[in-house]
Amino acid sequence: MNPLFEQQLLQTRRQFFGDTGIRLGGIALASLLASQDRSRAGSVVHPSLSDLPHFAGKAKSIIYLHMNGGPSQLDTWDYKPDLHKQFDKALPKDFLGDRITTMTSGQGTFPVAPSKYTFTQHGQSGRRVSELLPHTAKIVDDIAVVKSVYTNAINHDPACTFVMTGSEVPGKPSMGSWVSYGLGAETNDLPAFVSLVPNFPKGSNAQALYSRMWGSGFLPGKYSGVVLRPGADPVLYLDNPPGVSPADRRAMLDTLGKLNQRGFAKFGDPDIQTRISQYEMAYRMQSSVPELTDLSQESKAIKNLYGERVETPGSFTRSALLARRLVERGVRMVQILHRGWDSHGNLPSELGNQCLDTDQACAALVTDLKQRGMLEDTLVIWGGEFGRTVYCQGKLTRERYGRDHHPRNFCMWLAGGGIKGGVEIGETDEFSYNPVSDKVHINEINATILHCLGINHEQFAYRYQGLDQRLTGVEPMNVIKKILA
Amino acid sequence: MNSKVIAVHLSLCAFTSAVAEPLQFNRDIRPILSENCFACHGFDKKERKAKLRLDTAEGAYAEQDGVAAIVPGDPRASLAWELINSTAPDEVMPPPKSHKKLDDDEKALLKRWIEEGAAYQKHWAFERPVKSAGDGIDHFVRSALPSNHLKPSQEADRPTLIRRVSMGLTGLPPAIAEVDAYLADQQPGAYERMVDRYLASQHFGEEMARHWLDVARYGDTHGMHLDNERQTFAFRDWVVESFNNNLPFYQFTVEQLAGDLLPEPTQSQLVATGFNRCNVTTGEGGSIAKEWIFRYAVERASTTAQAWLGLTAECAVCHDHKYDPITAKDFYSLYAFFYSNADPALDGNALLTKPVVKVKPPGHDAKMAAFAERESAVKKEIEDLAATIKYEDPAEKDPKPPVAETEHVWFEDSFPQGAKVGTSVTPQEFVSEPVASGTKSVKVKGRGMAQIYYEEGAKELVVPVSGKFFLHVYNDPKDPAEEVMIQFNTGAWAHRAIWGKDIIQWGKAGTGERFPAGDLPAAGQWVKLEFDAASVGLAAGAKVKGFAFTVHGGAAYFDKMGVIGSTDPSADPSQSFAAWKNALAKKERDALPKEDAGLLRHYLAKVYNGTQETFAPLDAKLAKVNEERKALDSATPSSFIFRDLAKPRDAFVMTRGEYDSPGEKVVPNTPAVLPPLKKAGEHGNRLDLARWIVAPENPLTARVAVNRFWQQMFGVGLVESSHDFGTQGSMPTHPELLDWLAVTFVENGWDMKGLMRLLVTSDTFRQQSAAPSESWSADPGNQWLSRGPRFRLDAEQIRDQALFVSGLIKLQMGGKGVNPYQPPNIWEPVGFGGSNTRVYRRGNGADLYRRTIYTFIKRTAPHPLMDNFDMPNREQSCIRRDRTNTPLQALQLMNDVQHYEAARAFAAQILAADPNTPARIEFAYRRALARGADAEEVAMISQFVDGQLARYREAPEEAKKAINFGDLKPLESVDEIELAAWTLAANLILNLDEAVMRN
Repeated sequence: MNPLFEQQLLQTRRQFFGDTGIRLGGIALASLLASQDRSRAGSVVHPSLSDLPHFAGKAKSIIYLHMNGGPSQLDTWDYKPDLHKQFDKALPKDFLGDRITTMTSGQGTFPVAPSKYTFTQHGQSGRRVSELLPHTAKIVDDIAVVKSVYTNAINHDPACTFVMTGSEVPGKPSMGSWVSYGLGAETNDLPAFVSLVPNFPKGSNAQALYSRMWGSGFLPGKYSGVVLRPGADPVLYLDNPPGVSPADRRAMLDTLGKLNQRGFAKFGDPDIQTRISQYEMAYRMQSSVPELTDLSQESKAIKNLYGERVETPGSFTRSALLARRLVERGVRMVQILHRGWDSHGNLPSELGNQCLDTDQACAALVTDLKQRGMLEDTLVIWGGEFGRTVYCQGKLTRERYGRDHHPRNFCMWLAGGGIKGGVEIGETDEFSYNPVSDKVHINEINATILHCLGINHEQFAYRYQGLDQRLTGVEPMNVIKKILA
Repeated sequence: MNSKVIAVHLSLCAFTSAVAEPLQFNRDIRPILSENCFACHGFDKKERKAKLRLDTAEGAYAEQDGVAAIVPGDPRASLAWELINSTAPDEVMPPPKSHKKLDDDEKALLKRWIEEGAAYQKHWAFERPVKSAGDGIDHFVRSALPSNHLKPSQEADRPTLIRRVSMGLTGLPPAIAEVDAYLADQQPGAYERMVDRYLASQHFGEEMARHWLDVARYGDTHGMHLDNERQTFAFRDWVVESFNNNLPFYQFTVEQLAGDLLPEPTQSQLVATGFNRCNVTTGEGGSIAKEWIFRYAVERASTTAQAWLGLTAECAVCHDHKYDPITAKDFYSLYAFFYSNADPALDGNALLTKPVVKVKPPGHDAKMAAFAERESAVKKEIEDLAATIKYEDPAEKDPKPPVAETEHVWFEDSFPQGAKVGTSVTPQEFVSEPVASGTKSVKVKGRGMAQIYYEEGAKELVVPVSGKFFLHVYNDPKDPAEEVMIQFNTGAWAHRAIWGKDIIQWGKAGTGERFPAGDLPAAGQWVKLEFDAASVGLAAGAKVKGFAFTVHGGAAYFDKMGVIGSTDPSADPSQSFAAWKNALAKKERDALPKEDAGLLRHYLAKVYNGTQETFAPLDAKLAKVNEERKALDSATPSSFIFRDLAKPRDAFVMTRGEYDSPGEKVVPNTPAVLPPLKKAGEHGNRLDLARWIVAPENPLTARVAVNRFWQQMFGVGLVESSHDFGTQGSMPTHPELLDWLAVTFVENGWDMKGLMRLLVTSDTFRQQSAAPSESWSADPGNQWLSRGPRFRLDAEQIRDQALFVSGLIKLQMGGKGVNPYQPPNIWEPVGFGGSNTRVYRRGNGADLYRRTIYTFIKRTAPHPLMDNFDMPNREQSCIRRDRTNTPLQALQLMNDVQHYEAARAFAAQILAADPNTPARIEFAYRRALARGADAEEVAMISQFVDGQLARYREAPEEAKKAINFGDLKPLESVDEIELAAWTLAANLILNLDEAVMRN
């Protein structure tokens, strides 16, 4: 190796990552050069890191359906038929523990609230599913349900931060940023990581979202998720100003490009070339994004599969279909953040509406992907930031009850790219209060997601503040082998 | 740049040069060991494997079972060297499962280092900086160039220099007149004079402040959950002023960390302590208080260590630092300085979470004193008047006066003096016809319920013994009310008498809250309605704060209302001084004049019902003074400050960083690896800490500070990892220069302006940034400084430049954050229902054009400008921003109404500047880039403009749209086609790479 070669590499790194101080452990220098060649060729706007994937992963892209607020596992997936006998009886002290939110810690009693919903068996796997999820029930053979996920945080803000960034302290990159940083994307016309923030039923108890859930934390800002907004302007500033036509913009960009090329000749700064290409990408997005959100070419059958709200801008249903279209066009990660799952008081009414708003579209998404042969390499994840307590918050009747936050166990499901369908792991105790087998930390879900993408989560690090930072944190985390295909 | 890569790079140069200079542990070897070995063989005792540490010479040379890991001078005898080269997977170091691997160059360096004697050095940053031979920035920079095969560049041209300096020091481009003045100044020292003008500008403080506000994680909301507004902008303004006043950095430091502990702290010193109240806080229901107190202290200790010491101390929250000699005990000792914070665990989602300080503008105290003077003048008038009143106490008369029925009128022509009268549904009016008594009655009318009422502002009314209420009602014959009601407030509205239909659903039936007093009064005539006070639950002595006249489904007039009670004058406190005095509670008595004469005057002025009318005008005068004072007071903002609890909390090492696992008890102290803390008292406090930070023997503070300022001006620090001066951070590229700057900074009294002047007047800074591609490929990050700095403008600079160039900018400084243009649905979709920052309310006028430092920062949904252009969202301290280059940036600069409107205002100026196209382009370039346009540029832009003119001539309605985007109205006299075409041209110029860069 000679010094000139070495310096070219440095230059590549700088262009490649922007002006930032990037320190990545153990990147082979030769492969950096390879990625330089790729980006020079102009064929890939979002290249992957040269050492990624670590191995052949089954999934190419991710659709993450985040039910913000904490869906109740007891009323959806965690079937506890015997709880009826415990109605209104106090939850035994041994179970309770001392980490209870102060919303219920002042309650004198912790009476058991059994689910009012009927669970019936579905599919070849005979999976028990709550009557709230009739459509998801039809795809149980395609999904793996994990009933024993746990997290460290008991409140929304830290828990949402945890589930999406692998840490409850703000400042870390979101999963989508990690993934687009590592793997890039297979599109030149769209961003690598897209977030959708749909509307949610009125009357539900909606908790906030935080931009750090799609933010890039300490990774360069270009890895932030691009929020596709519900209204007329899905990408910020996408539309030309009034009175400026695409032809006007093209003419302006042609002149701008020429002037910037002269600037490059004068200054020699390679960053100018990047700027020229980003302006061209912006121009392409001005047509690719409207094309993306135009559903007129979707068949009636597909629209029926997702449900009637597919025509309603900003609906979860439409977002689910957009997620498929995004992945189809080469976007690496799509995240749908659906709010309103924080059922402290009147759970049956709120949860019923939440499920009604999302159930059909979730099932349709998996079915649609499968029909197109895309499910094999698209990993779909469904879950919230924590679960809900077996004991009632507020007034308890058989028909009406509320549930507080419960970080000790909750349910998530995964489907597609690399995941075995029809599987269920993680039993919980009789009160759905603690996992008794296959306990899965939220960062083990994250480790498994990375594994499906061909990434060894322990090796996927970014040096920041003196630490090799990982999506999955510093504690040892294991991939959940039992649900892998 | 990877320190490892630097090391390799250096060594490669060393190999290729004729004479190899000896390796240096800190520069060449430590990065390799730190990256690959220290995790298991380093400072952290718990993680240490095979009892071996390689971070100290003693550890590395120590023999275990007859062998040493490193034998100086003899690689073959060194066990470490053997294991590094082992091929056995269970033996090779680093072990495969660590995913670390030494490459051949690194191995070669290690071997050579052992051969050369394996000399160790203490980590460079923990040694006190000393000046070495040589003087000045340029000396050190120049002397490092040859070994890197680089040559200095020539000085940049003047237009480039003035824009570089103006942007760097004030965040604004130079005005054309400033450029002209600089170009015209051919005397020696022209450059320095130009620099001094910008250093003296008040915008210097704004530009400097925004960098520090990243460090201080300043925001205008709490940052978590509801993310409600927080009022602490006085801290932001304090930072701006401190830079403008050139507050020495040591003072800047002490006031922020411990201003509250200085003797008799000034308001500004208290505001400065807002630094450690800027962290994000929560008010989320259900949170566990202990946990958050813990977290805030962790955050504040980490931020302080990071901001001033360049240490990433938070690693030690959970365990001893793996790489730096900071133990968990060190960390929690630092944390102990902040753990006795007086602010609460939950912020209450309040605008002002205590402790706070009123931020009084100059002259405020004088105004308040004037109020006090006016108040005492009126009080004296009252006293004087009271002294003239002849009073005989009925209790002292002989015989005592008989018990009498007395009428107390509560309403006649108006509500009682001072009452703040409100109405529901519709305004209600006082009329002079019909009237039962006096000159006016009040008409209350509504299709449903309607009322007129007051509940504050007037003196309390006291219900007499055996009280019987009366009021006069005239039910409107044209539109008779279905129900008439009177209500009384005694702290709550819980006393009602009703006549007619019982329609209004207030109060519990069968109680005084809802007493049916009789039938609806006959319409078209005055009817006197009466009821016993007891029937509405008002006992003798009850104090009434307000009352209401209420109707439903029609109109009625109300007139003279009051209460008749039996009174024994000698026992009635409102008639007998003695009776009143005896009935006073001790607390009340203590607050009143001690001697009887004064007490009597008070009685006559405030209590005795025979003289209340006499005093009413003076009371009103007094009320007015108080109201005005209150108005001034509530218009004066407050700001968050840091205080300690009177009784400090005990602090402990928290095992594994868990808030509920206290281990060993700790007292406030500084890390053992650094010089010892000097305590003024028995226990260390924040003031001791602050003074320790700026003590001359502290090896880190001055280096970290000068490096950050260097980064600000040159784009990258001499220590590239400006946030991390620990062993995992980068090595300084120019260690001697860094130390020279640090020592000089301290010697010059921590003079920040002086330091900035030193940096920008160096030849190094003045070099041109344009360079042949060999220079860029030889040193892409310009770490060796063979070129002038060239990097993208920051978010604030880009927007401020557009506003400045367009002439739209409003340069008013300070105050509450403003809400400029922002696309819809940035706040709303993420906001919590109950949050007061859920809905973005755009400002108008000047608010749209203020400098970006004054944009309101909502931390959970930052303005897209900040998001797109790498401004941190201020959730945590940020020492160094990214500089990315994305399509979203392009979209924003092309299409955002803020930028397009600015382009239009810029275009209007271009049109006004000259009628000829080439001259217009020349003007536009000079305004945006400080330099003129060359012939080719003029040709390209002319051609573009001609094309757009043709296009808009064909579609004039499109031109009209293009020039009406934004609040700003185009001048009527303007040629719309021309303005539209030049707006797009101006938009083009503001999007030039050269325009978004500091060149």
